[in-house]
Amino acid sequence: MSTEPPPVQRRFRRRLGRNRLNAGGRVIRVALAGNPNSGKTSVFNAVTGQRQHIGNYPGVTVEKKSGMIELDDKLLEIIDLPGIYSLSAYSLEEVVSRDFVLNEKPDVIVDVLDSTNLERHLYLLLQFQELGVPIIGALNMSDEAETKGIQINSEQLGLILGIPFVKTVGTTGRGIEKLLDTVMKVAEGELESNRRHLNYGKQVEISHNAVIATLELDPEFKNRYSLHWVAIKLLEKDQDAIRKIKREHKYPQMVLEATREWQQRLEKYFQEDSEIIIGEQRYAYIHGALKETVVQTGQPDGVDLTEKIDRIALNRFLGIPIFFAVMFLIYQLTFALGNPMSDLISRFFSYLSVQVNVILPAGAFQDLISNGIINGVGGVLTFLPLVLFLFLGLSFLEDSGYMARAAFVMDKFFHIFGLHGRSFVPFMISTGCAVPGIMSARVLANRKDRIVTIMVSPLMMCGAKAPVVAMLAAAFFPEHATIVFWGVWLFGWLMAFGIALAFKKTLFRGDQTPFVMELPPYRRPQVKSVILHMWEKSAEYIKKAGTVILAASVIVWFFLSYPKPPSEGVDFRGNNIIPIEYSFGGRLGKSIEPVLKWAGFDWKIGVSLVAGVAAKEVIISTTGILYGLDSDESDESLQKEFFVKEKLSRDPNYSPLMALGLLLFVMIYIPCLATLAMVKKELGSWKWPVFQAVYTLTVAFVVAVTVYQIGGLLGFGG
Amino acid sequence: MNNPINQSNDRDRELQTRRKTDLAQIPAGKRFKVVKINALGEVRRRLLDIGFVKNQAGCVIREALLKDPIEVDIKGTKVSLRRSEARLICVEEAD
Repeated sequence: MSTEPPPVQRRFRRRLGRNRLNAGGRVIRVALAGNPNSGKTSVFNAVTGQRQHIGNYPGVTVEKKSGMIELDDKLLEIIDLPGIYSLSAYSLEEVVSRDFVLNEKPDVIVDVLDSTNLERHLYLLLQFQELGVPIIGALNMSDEAETKGIQINSEQLGLILGIPFVKTVGTTGRGIEKLLDTVMKVAEGELESNRRHLNYGKQVEISHNAVIATLELDPEFKNRYSLHWVAIKLLEKDQDAIRKIKREHKYPQMVLEATREWQQRLEKYFQEDSEIIIGEQRYAYIHGALKETVVQTGQPDGVDLTEKIDRIALNRFLGIPIFFAVMFLIYQLTFALGNPMSDLISRFFSYLSVQVNVILPAGAFQDLISNGIINGVGGVLTFLPLVLFLFLGLSFLEDSGYMARAAFVMDKFFHIFGLHGRSFVPFMISTGCAVPGIMSARVLANRKDRIVTIMVSPLMMCGAKAPVVAMLAAAFFPEHATIVFWGVWLFGWLMAFGIALAFKKTLFRGDQTPFVMELPPYRRPQVKSVILHMWEKSAEYIKKAGTVILAASVIVWFFLSYPKPPSEGVDFRGNNIIPIEYSFGGRLGKSIEPVLKWAGFDWKIGVSLVAGVAAKEVIISTTGILYGLDSDESDESLQKEFFVKEKLSRDPNYSPLMALGLLLFVMIYIPCLATLAMVKKELGSWKWPVFQAVYTLTVAFVVAVTVYQIGGLLGFGG
Repeated sequence: MNNPINQSNDRDRELQTRRKTDLAQIPAGKRFKVVKINALGEVRRRLLDIGFVKNQAGCVIREALLKDPIEVDIKGTKVSLRRSEARLICVEEAD
């Protein structure tokens, strides 16, 4: 990473809001487009710096990044479009991109191109050009192209395609200033960016013009869209374009009939599908343009670095061990560096809680602050180091190019269970914490894959379940605690795969989704962008998990504290009164006890499990309270765990069989509230977290009852 | 055997039928030329986008552990695809 600031910073200022917009000043809106792996993100970062606004495109969960900059007293809003290969209607990202351009009509589109692979990257540019918005090509990674001996005559390429091209290097900032100058010139009309479309060859053009002629019959529609584009999309049988005609055109029947006729003529002539014909014409056109403008000097070295690495990393036999080694390394780093930080944070909050108890007078308020709020916030922040390092590892994988390789190596295995090779990312991260795990499911492009992966990811052992499982294992199986722990850990994985398979065979059946995936060249990750990515994700985690867990801890606290028992001390039978028995939580536990009995659970376990929905680690402290652990003693978590363990192992009501059922139940049942909230956010509907809660609870209960009942019949009980 | 012209015709015919195959049959390290894409819908579109067009030359680089997926070099891009997808691409062996 270069330490000197990119030269662009001297001339323009980056800014976040529109607050200082001069009266009458116009914001120039620039959409940044490009293929995945074109270096689009580095260009975006070079232009906007750290001041980025992250949101969603309206109505969908596709991430939208934007940034404001000021250049020569003009304001520019840069909007990052999703990385895509094409403007078809098959993926959400593609539809979002074209709808943005069609509906929001940005002033300029900057298409970021990989200069070392122009043929492939211009394919998208031509499709954007058809949308009828001025476009500029950023010949990115031009330094790499130079080292590879690829000489691009950008002026001539510009003449042929009718649009300006600028050479850039996003990672160093080279050419960014010139790019912005060109943007201004095009936006102000000083420089022309031709909106004409490419020539598809005689046969296609005849059909194309015929369809345009019918489209022109509706003048309103003509004003709204680029007819060139709509006509080509119709000939390609693009579902979204057909929908647009049905909804918005005055004479949908006529247009669609004409389209069908002309498209069939084309297919008859070429003996090929129209979508393929048009795609091939695009490539043929690009091929012609590049022949005249790009020269390859000198032969590239026989084997490049990427291939050298892949010969080892993707070796048939070494690939999988290397994958596990990389994952192991990330885990080691996460836990070796994260755990001490977590301990520190946890200790700080314990200390804070003690201080509050000293400073504030005893009573409901003190209780709320120390047991409700501080515990809750502490719970979230304790996991922060873990989340931080997991995301560090993840963005390193992604930026280096290894992520796609890992998917390549693991795909066969995941595919057996109906999942995609990339599902390993959310799974792996969920073994740390399901909340970031679910966020990371964005690596899956296909919605069905993503839903299934999100639905089963929380079945893994996570950082919050681990201490609960460890404690229960130690309490009930003191001699085999380690084996039991890892057995339960494995059980989580098996359940995740098994249930994923069941979902894929039933609820989420359907079309084969393509695995076709680029394996980008290895690149050294940039410290700046890795940190930025890590920061964004962690901030998202804090925001979501923080608010939900805080609210949940206050609710759980209230639920277990109120109403208070009528009197202190002992009841009329002379038993000690445990206040929690009188609370809503206690009453709920007792009322569901008859059902829980099928699994051998008593009401105390019931209460702990209910409280555990807020956050799994709460199970330990709630059990502690149920056994009469005074909340003032609960400061040292080790002591607390020891206390609970001792109490549980001595409770005569509990059998090892019930304990085994309980362990499995804790692994599977309802994910914590923060996870559910994140599922809602990521999938955009409450339907999914509700479904997830219901199915996990059902499966967990069935498993626990089965273990208890069948085990009892087989004589393992008591 | 006595008629070299007939013989070469036979060989041509034989070569043509032998050579037209699908991408899944091409062993690692061998080159190929795209003849036709038989896939439909999204898979076809993705293949097209990534550069599987008629007459495009490419090379199978390697296979994963269980011979699936495979890695292919096409238009200077390395692409991984499942064997089930490769089966939908009609290709010619190239030397």
